[in-house]
Amino acid sequence: MAQMDTSEGGGRHESKVKAKKMSTRVDLTPMVDLAFLLISFFMLTTTMSKPVAMQLAMPKPIEDPTKDKGEDVKESQVLTIILDKDDAVWYYEGIPSELTPESLNKTHYGSDGIRQVILDKQKKVLAHFREPDKTICLIKMTKDASYKNMVDILDEMDITKTKIFAIQDLSPVELSAVSAK
Amino acid sequence: MPKVKIPKKSVVVDMTAMCDVSFLLLAFFILTAKFRPTESVMVDTPTSRATEQVKEDIITITVNKEGGAYLTLFSTRRVPTLNSLIERYGEKYPSLRTLTKDQINNFGNVETFGFNINQLPSLLSKSKDELIQIEKNMPGIPIDSVDSQIGDWVNAARSTGLEAGIEVPIAIKGDKSTNVVAVKDIIEALRKREIYRFNLITSLEGRVD
Repeated sequence: MAQMDTSEGGGRHESKVKAKKMSTRVDLTPMVDLAFLLISFFMLTTTMSKPVAMQLAMPKPIEDPTKDKGEDVKESQVLTIILDKDDAVWYYEGIPSELTPESLNKTHYGSDGIRQVILDKQKKVLAHFREPDKTICLIKMTKDASYKNMVDILDEMDITKTKIFAIQDLSPVELSAVSAK
Repeated sequence: MPKVKIPKKSVVVDMTAMCDVSFLLLAFFILTAKFRPTESVMVDTPTSRATEQVKEDIITITVNKEGGAYLTLFSTRRVPTLNSLIERYGEKYPSLRTLTKDQINNFGNVETFGFNINQLPSLLSKSKDELIQIEKNMPGIPIDSVDSQIGDWVNAARSTGLEAGIEVPIAIKGDKSTNVVAVKDIIEALRKREIYRFNLITSLEGRVD
């Protein structure tokens, strides 16, 4: 057990118990370790996702269709894209009334899917009309499509720089063609 | 031959400077980090290539997975919006007329609103803490074509901006898996009220292709 040395004096030669000169240097390595650990933790847990806004302009509803016929559109200008459930994309060219299930093609989202289809259509339209931005995309959605599909396809419109596009309702012919597939 | 003594170098590196730097970085990251505002309606937004930043003062319509619509207004726009709603649609929703001044001011505490308008009087007599609890469990504002209250709300909110000459942007914030029909219903309801421009809130796309 610890015992206190209560002896006084005893001569100088005995008090050799000098206060040990402690080094003032502290090893900071663990502290640095900790600091970097915290830094990496905060950096990795920070969500960098800042919300961004995508512009969407919808057309005015036409009050009287007999008066306002709008602009004439050539059949060959139009590409119709139908968004279906489970991220399926259907597309066809031309007018809906002549649509058969056979002329409906299936593709997917992404750079080699629907984007390539739109770009091909643009090339065809450009070769035919000799004017850029003549391609018209009609976007239609079945009731099983998700909101993500809609954002994706609007994003494709931006990527392929398709100037004219519209979101429309499915016509009965299209609906039966899609469900027949 | 005299020996060439290689001076024995200490292997201990002074860590003080490194420690300083790392804590400086740590302090910087902690102080610049912004907390995500508490959202009573959780949605996982789809990603897009859009780069436009979202403004603070916007009318946000959140559509969750189940298709429920919720209205979020900027804090200074809440009370004027309710006043405008009472003024414009007081006859359509008679319960709005029964609101007292305190209840109207209490609407400033409502971060996100997702109820039928007729439930407002009972809702606004609750305290701030109770409101926060209630906000976690909201049924949503009716959006069907028979009783499209969301359009009335947006109209009221927009008019508060138009009085000051500001066009308050209208944003739609949907979940990835939200059915597109719910979003389309809202867009159609707003189109009937001559609103044609929308902001779709998405998160930045990480992948480059």
